[in-house]
Amino acid sequence: MEELSTNSYDTTQYIVIKLGVEQYGIDIQNIDNIVRMQHITRVPKVADYVKGVINLRGEVIPVLSLRLKMGFEEDEFTKDSRIIILKLEQHGTLGVIVDEVKEVVTLENSAVEKFTYDSKEERNGNLIGVGKSNGQLISLLDMSIVVAEKEKE
Amino acid sequence: MDVSQYLEIFLDETKEHLQNLNTQILELEKDSENMDTINEIFRAAHSLKGMAGTMGYKRMQNLTHDMENVFSEVRNGTIKVKANLIDILFQCLDALEEYTGNIQETADEGDNDNAALIDRLNAVLKGSETGGGEETPGQAASQSKETAPKKEAASEIALTEEQKHVLREAQKMGKNAYSFDVKVQDSCILKAARAFLVFKSIEEIGEIIVSRPSAQDIEDERFDTEFSLIVVSDSTIDVVTKVIERVSEIEKVYSRVVGETEVEDITGGTAVESAAGTPAENAAANAAVTQSAPAAAAQRGKTPDKKQGGGKPVVNRTVRVDIEKLDVLMNLVSELIIAKNSLVSVSTQENAQNNAFDEQIEYLESVTTNLHESVMKVRMVPIESVVNKFPRMIRDLSKKLDKKMELYMTGEETELDRTVVDEIGDPLMHLLRNSADHGLESAEVRKERGKPEAGSIFLDAYQDGNNVVIEVRDDGNGIDVEGVKNKAIGRGTITPEQAVNMSDKEIIDLLFLPSFSTSEQVTDVSGRGVGLDVVKSKIEALSGEVEVKSKLGEGSTWIIRLPLTLAIIQALMVIVGGEKYAISLGSIQTIEDVKPADIKYVQAKEVIHLRGTVIPLIRLSQVLDAPSNKSPEDDMTVVIVKKGDRLAGLVVDELMGQQEIVIKSLGKYINKCRIISGATILGDGEVALIVDANAVI
Repeated sequence: MEELSTNSYDTTQYIVIKLGVEQYGIDIQNIDNIVRMQHITRVPKVADYVKGVINLRGEVIPVLSLRLKMGFEEDEFTKDSRIIILKLEQHGTLGVIVDEVKEVVTLENSAVEKFTYDSKEERNGNLIGVGKSNGQLISLLDMSIVVAEKEKE
Repeated sequence: MDVSQYLEIFLDETKEHLQNLNTQILELEKDSENMDTINEIFRAAHSLKGMAGTMGYKRMQNLTHDMENVFSEVRNGTIKVKANLIDILFQCLDALEEYTGNIQETADEGDNDNAALIDRLNAVLKGSETGGGEETPGQAASQSKETAPKKEAASEIALTEEQKHVLREAQKMGKNAYSFDVKVQDSCILKAARAFLVFKSIEEIGEIIVSRPSAQDIEDERFDTEFSLIVVSDSTIDVVTKVIERVSEIEKVYSRVVGETEVEDITGGTAVESAAGTPAENAAANAAVTQSAPAAAAQRGKTPDKKQGGGKPVVNRTVRVDIEKLDVLMNLVSELIIAKNSLVSVSTQENAQNNAFDEQIEYLESVTTNLHESVMKVRMVPIESVVNKFPRMIRDLSKKLDKKMELYMTGEETELDRTVVDEIGDPLMHLLRNSADHGLESAEVRKERGKPEAGSIFLDAYQDGNNVVIEVRDDGNGIDVEGVKNKAIGRGTITPEQAVNMSDKEIIDLLFLPSFSTSEQVTDVSGRGVGLDVVKSKIEALSGEVEVKSKLGEGSTWIIRLPLTLAIIQALMVIVGGEKYAISLGSIQTIEDVKPADIKYVQAKEVIHLRGTVIPLIRLSQVLDAPSNKSPEDDMTVVIVKKGDRLAGLVVDELMGQQEIVIKSLGKYINKCRIISGATILGDGEVALIVDANAVI
């Protein structure tokens, strides 16, 4: 996935979302759709961050709480809450709940400070890097790492 | 010609023909005089040869060619069908299957010439009285017109006495009799139409006495690219030939004059070179007349396409469709049903003020239901395609194991979803082998026990509600429960203490554990202990189940129960803790109202007593972590579900009603939840989960 943000284009578009007070960016290429909060059908006997499933145009899509998955406290659904539908190679289609979708930003790849991970070090960091836009810092999420079911029992 | 694009069709059709041959040869073994069977075999072998030739599989073509020669002699009655011939034929089929297998894997037939088999076939041919593939004219003439048509016999037309008479009369009146072999171009699409034009133009100047194939067959396009005619006419042979050649897409016309003396012995004579034919081609035609095998093969090599359609009896008109396309269609139907369901729920919410709207909704409902049924039916295939290979297998096993046995099958026409049928073959084969090897006793033992010497294995398939049941039954020894128990203890699978407490059924179920075989010695057939656990896991993967019933000394029955369809089911919608769940109607026995006072306890577990059966209660609200909002004093709604022999009562809060639901997967991300087998989308767009009653029990 990280290749996507360093591809031949010099810029990458990110959707800026809010979780609590923090701002995160998700590469627009991973995003299929953004939908309003809707009824989520709970699925029993699954990890707590799996909120359930929704009906997205006739398909049943699992929905995760990005807050719980990233170690924040439980979501509070407001009128700003959105479900971002991701299409990821390893995980198929799934939705993540975010507090708010703010804007789309176009970042020059040079304006992104990439985190380099030691090859020995297990890649458990959720971030690709940090981007600067309008004087604000946006942490750029690597969604395939974020939703991966590791370290959770 | 690049044939790779036809490979799939070739494989499909080859398999069909091989299966057909297997079945027919078995039939032949039972009734060696049946002309229909022999004809059918001949046709299948012939088509196979043509197809292999077209695709350039020479070895396969050679083998089938020699087989065809043998069948041809059998058909003419010059070779009698004997046991050893049947054996050779079966070996040929095996060899052909091997070729097919090779082709499927590598697109190459492999380099096994099977020379030994071909030699044996030829030996059979030589052993016959008249020898060789030579057709004696007398024979051809003596046979009736219907059986006489032979593809190789280019200009032989057998005449009935009446036709001969007409011919003689015509010749007496000074008319000329001609024989024509007309060849239509390979690329010709409307062969029948061309033939019709030929007929029509000849009839303007003469009279067609007889044609081969018959006029009816030609009209129905049941010929390859050639047909033969005997014509009487006042005109000269050149004129008639020209008339025929004037019809477009006619490649060649071989013509000759039928002399007066020839009428008696119509097959003699030499071909007169026609205006169209080059000498070389005519030579080939002549060679074909005398029917020497290599020349016939050479000619076939030149016109490889012509065998495809020929000789086959008219069967149901079918179209081959890629299963993926059907899946797409099925998905679309599912979408449509969901859309329909949401319309229904909208219409009920709108307080039913608009009658016309409701009517249309009802109409739409019946259309979608019918559409769904039709699409399902398209996906359904009879299990025939799978079970047809079993008689042959049992026959081989019978020889190999030196036990006499018969396989009786019923319900081959029972239909199942294509995906299920594809998977069911192996498990069934395991069970049949099991019955043949372990189940049936040796002839001596059977005699002692007063059973008929030949063992019987039954394969019965039938539909039972939303399920299809396939039973494999034998009248053999049955399962020796004590033997299984001792073996299990010996292997350390269970402890002796455990064994004491186990019911017979539980012990029999041990047989389904991986690598558990009771056979004393490992045989070629079975006994390696890789059978029954595979059977079980395969069937369960198809959301089916297996059970065994057995009586020592009397035989055992293996019962496989499979769902009819996998995609759309009738379900009971229930509410548990405010959430909606679907339970497949197929597993539901009854629905009961139970008073809390009626709950009894067995080993600290809740049970109810219902019409003489003790049924354990399962509170779905606990299983699903959905706290019930009903007070414990209220009457409970209990859905009684069945898994095999076992019953269980699922306690739900409320019933919503029955609904046709489309099963959707929960997606890759959620796959650990065993009690939920999938989800469905309700009319209002809400997602409801499907409770897998089997997993709950």
